[in-house]
Amino acid sequence: MSEIWRTAIVASFDKFLGKVVTFLPNLLAMITILVIGLITAWIIKTLLFRFLKAIQFDRVSERWGLTHILSRGGIAYSPASLVSRFFYWVIVLITLILGINALEVAATQNFIAQFFSYLPNLFAAVIILVIGYLIAIFLGQAALIAGVNAQMESAKLLSRSVRWFIIILSLTMALYHLGIAEKVIVAAFSITFGGIVLALAIAFGWGGRELAKDFLERLYLKKKKEDGDHNHLSHL
Amino acid sequence: MDKSFQIQLEEIIEADILIGIPSYNNSRTIGHVVRSVMAGLAKYFPRAKAVLVNSDGGSTDGTQEEVKKVQIEDFKTILTSHPVYPIQKIVTPYHGIPGKGSAFRTIFEAAKSVNAKACAVVDSDLRSITPEWIELLIRPIYEEGFDYVVPLYARHRFDGTITNSIVYPLTRALYGKRVRQPIGGDFGFSGELAKHYLTKEVWETDIARFGIDIWMTTLAIAEGYKVCQSYLGAKIHDARDPGSDLGPMFTQVVSSVYGLMGNYQHLWKEVKESQPVPTFGFHYEVGLEPISVNVERMIRNFKLGVKDLMEIWRKALLPETARWLDSISRLSDEAFSFPQDLWVRLIYDFAIAHHKGSVHREHLLKSMIPLYLGRVASFVKENQESSVKEVEEKIESLCKVFEEMKPYLIERWG
Repeated sequence: MSEIWRTAIVASFDKFLGKVVTFLPNLLAMITILVIGLITAWIIKTLLFRFLKAIQFDRVSERWGLTHILSRGGIAYSPASLVSRFFYWVIVLITLILGINALEVAATQNFIAQFFSYLPNLFAAVIILVIGYLIAIFLGQAALIAGVNAQMESAKLLSRSVRWFIIILSLTMALYHLGIAEKVIVAAFSITFGGIVLALAIAFGWGGRELAKDFLERLYLKKKKEDGDHNHLSHL
Repeated sequence: MDKSFQIQLEEIIEADILIGIPSYNNSRTIGHVVRSVMAGLAKYFPRAKAVLVNSDGGSTDGTQEEVKKVQIEDFKTILTSHPVYPIQKIVTPYHGIPGKGSAFRTIFEAAKSVNAKACAVVDSDLRSITPEWIELLIRPIYEEGFDYVVPLYARHRFDGTITNSIVYPLTRALYGKRVRQPIGGDFGFSGELAKHYLTKEVWETDIARFGIDIWMTTLAIAEGYKVCQSYLGAKIHDARDPGSDLGPMFTQVVSSVYGLMGNYQHLWKEVKESQPVPTFGFHYEVGLEPISVNVERMIRNFKLGVKDLMEIWRKALLPETARWLDSISRLSDEAFSFPQDLWVRLIYDFAIAHHKGSVHREHLLKSMIPLYLGRVASFVKENQESSVKEVEEKIESLCKVFEEMKPYLIERWG
């Protein structure tokens, strides 16, 4: 009886030892990956920060209004610092995933494969959002200045409309790229945009016929009046 | 350079004087300009070999044909002798960005090709040009050893507002030369200076458009060429809508002035005071047509700018300057006044922002237009009853403020 017990315990222990021996190199590999990954992340963060400083990224961001948005959102980091930190954490995340993958645990393998195949989409979506936001700021500002110089009282409204239209458009594109409810997103955007255009058309063409008529009349008369009392300065 | 243009220049081989006329749809006036130029050359430089170059931007109204057909049949009727050499006329299209600067580039190339000693450029929409203008623009170069002649016109007291409120005071404060109308439009220059202009790579910028005048003047002053001015009398243009092109005109001129500040910073930082430049020509008073100015509209535009554009301006201005602007925007139209000190501070602050690139440059310049209109409105209001002499004194006092506040510019420029 005791022999049976002894054999069972030894076999179990051997089995456990075998598993530990198999697992240990993976663990060591994970630790190595983590250490190298963290060091690489830190080096890239430092180099990127210096590079962004050298190309005056903070000044460009200030010009584009990004610094203002960050400070309004309570983010104390400079844009150069923020971008370099972002890349640091992306590398840390990738290192972690690679580390976990090195353990060769069956449950995580599938998840990691999916994550890596999805990663390009995520990057593309982030890039679409960032570029879309910058274009929105730029064109919104251009519309505001053009509106003021054309003496439009509603220049700010025009500027905000331009800005939000581009932000919504880029958000839609980003979500579409991520594959999140593609059909719903496209349909929602089409309905919203089409609805706005239709509402304006109805407002001016039917519902607000008189108002539109008054508005256009006043605009025309004002224009005629202003043409009459135009400045005759030669600016140069 | 256009091939047929090159062939025509090669046939001429050499010329003493070259007159350039940039044009675009000026068939109504260019005939008079060409006749004046030809009469001026015949009357004052009959022994010189002269070429007239019309650099056209693709006119569709028969401008080029008008230039070709102009002939002076009988020089005696205009009291001039026949020139020894016939005056050569070349009509050519220019290439590059559509604008005055690109047209001038073609004229500089022609001057270089024929090795001209003295050159002049005159606008094609002039109604008041006389043969004497050619003498006044050419003689200081041809006989007096000057390199660059700037025009000096008799103008309405409210005319030339970009010149009077920005370009003249700023150029004077920066480079130390009192050139009263640095962007007058009609200039004389030596063949050497024309060659020097061609060495610069600026033909894809605003200088190829309205910025050419200030660029030519600034380069001549800053690079040590001998500069003078000639009194030409009244300048009357062909009638057109002067308000229609304020935006591009303003941004292109100011962008060129600010851009040049960056190029010559090592120079203007050392200039401590301004000096007058030699002036040729007989000064006389002329009667000028009254100008209608809608002050209320300009004030309205300024106030709208303060309401909506302050967020952009704050990136260029110091907080106290922004507060000052805000306070004057709350004044009624009757009490509205835009102080000189504030205006000078704004011009310097925007120059610094342009230099540092803290705001997108085109946006920065376009956003200045309501401020400019506010300053012009205030100036017109203050001088409704003033004589031309009194207005000139006000401009002189503005120039002094620009010069006094220059240390502020140098300190913040970095």
